[in-house]
Amino acid sequence: MISMRNVSKIYVPNKPPALDECTVEIAQGEFVFLVGHSGSGKSTFIRLLLRELLPTKGQIVVAGQDLTKMKNWKVPFLRRNIGCVFQDFKLLPNKTTYENIAFALEVIGRSKHVIRTQVPEVLRLVGLEEKMESYPDELSGGEQQRVSIARAFVNRPPLLLADEPTGNLDPATSLGIMSLLNRINKTGTTVLVATHDREMVDSMRKRVIALEGGKVIRDQDRGVYGYGD
Amino acid sequence: MSTAMAINFGYFVKESVVSFRRNWVMSLGAIITIYLSLLLVGVSLGSGMLLGQVIESFEDKVSVRLFLKDGAPAEQVDAMQAELLANEMVDTVVYTTKEQALEDFKKRLMQDSPEVIEQLASNPLPASLDIDLKDPRNVSTVVDQIKASENFIAVADRPDDPSKSLEYGQEVVEKLFTVTAIIRLVSIVFVAMLAVISLIFINNAIRIAIYARRKEIAIMRLVGASNWFIRTPFLLEGVLESLVGALLAIGTLSILYLYVLPKLSELMAFLPLTMSSGDAIQVSLVLMFAGIFMGAGGAMFAMRRYLRV
Repeated sequence: MISMRNVSKIYVPNKPPALDECTVEIAQGEFVFLVGHSGSGKSTFIRLLLRELLPTKGQIVVAGQDLTKMKNWKVPFLRRNIGCVFQDFKLLPNKTTYENIAFALEVIGRSKHVIRTQVPEVLRLVGLEEKMESYPDELSGGEQQRVSIARAFVNRPPLLLADEPTGNLDPATSLGIMSLLNRINKTGTTVLVATHDREMVDSMRKRVIALEGGKVIRDQDRGVYGYGD
Repeated sequence: MSTAMAINFGYFVKESVVSFRRNWVMSLGAIITIYLSLLLVGVSLGSGMLLGQVIESFEDKVSVRLFLKDGAPAEQVDAMQAELLANEMVDTVVYTTKEQALEDFKKRLMQDSPEVIEQLASNPLPASLDIDLKDPRNVSTVVDQIKASENFIAVADRPDDPSKSLEYGQEVVEKLFTVTAIIRLVSIVFVAMLAVISLIFINNAIRIAIYARRKEIAIMRLVGASNWFIRTPFLLEGVLESLVGALLAIGTLSILYLYVLPKLSELMAFLPLTMSSGDAIQVSLVLMFAGIFMGAGGAMFAMRRYLRV
């Protein structure tokens, strides 16, 4: 699903690189945590996979496509295959739950019929059928994150990226979000979660890739967050 | 595919109308500048057409008239006529007799009191050769050639000063050409300036529309909306704004055309101030397309700078 070979990203020449010679293989259907301190390169990692950035060096293949050779106009079609969830939810405040999710389908040209069947389905999956007509500011943080996961997943992408999805949430709510991501992973979707939520990572016992100073320092199946801090 | 396109089209129209309402102040500014510049384009196009007609009517009147002395020998007049006809710049030469000249004079100026003419003991008007040129701009060349001709001196009405026997509207034509050239230049400069200002206004309106929708745009990019899908509403908004401006300009010009122009041509009956409805429609179409062009251009310009996709 994801294949990174010797990828480096240098934002400012002659400064330490954000990513340094990273080589990572993630197979289809895997659930992977990407852990590390702030500034360790997690966000750069995610943005490279979305092709918001191009690597300074190395090769990145996502869903069978070489991002370093991809034409600009093809990028939107790559992103239709990648669901994306962020710490700040990125919901539109003037749209209801239903409309926020429908928007993601509308703008890639799905028909009204498809929207009418897929949106309620994904709302059931995230457990928000009852909140269909609510606006984001009427929802709790956990509920808003569920809406944003529903929006990321409504198009059934083979890959779901989550950048600190529980960063703004309390531990109990975070657990709910993680089990939702786990459920989505069970449908066959590859899930990559960037986080520094130690308890979460330790309790889930999934593959863990640890970054530090832009380098992969550990890659461990059924791993934990780390030792010491 | 066709249903998807239909859905998209509805979506685009909805989006651009919503955006239009959201920043109506900027949109209104854009519409008004487009309106004013297109109005000016329309006025200068229309007046250009009218002026063209006026000039043409003058050009028709610019023939050289060569007055003949009474009793000029017929063979010399014939020779003069033949010489003129041989000239490449000359179109036609018509011989007007003294009687004909008097008749024309009566018709033109003395319609109300023909008895004034009846009082005359003899006919004071000279016979003449009326020369029409192929291109009125050659008038001075032809006149110089005639002055140099021996035949001319032989038949001229006033042998003491033969040049007084020639009558032509050289100055009128030259002045008209200068005036139209100046008017054209001034209106081109004005229209160009207004076009630039309109583009800036459209550019600003679209920039603000993009800014107002930056969250939507970020999400659209995230979920993989194609570039043209993100751009089309803004393009449509620019075109919509300038189309409204164009329609207002066309409306104003129609009022001028239907109510003011007839009054004007009544006031200045001696000038041919009329415009066919075909010409009027042509001007409208030009304005419409110029409007669409400016709207799309301004929006495209703004998107290149503020909407990187």
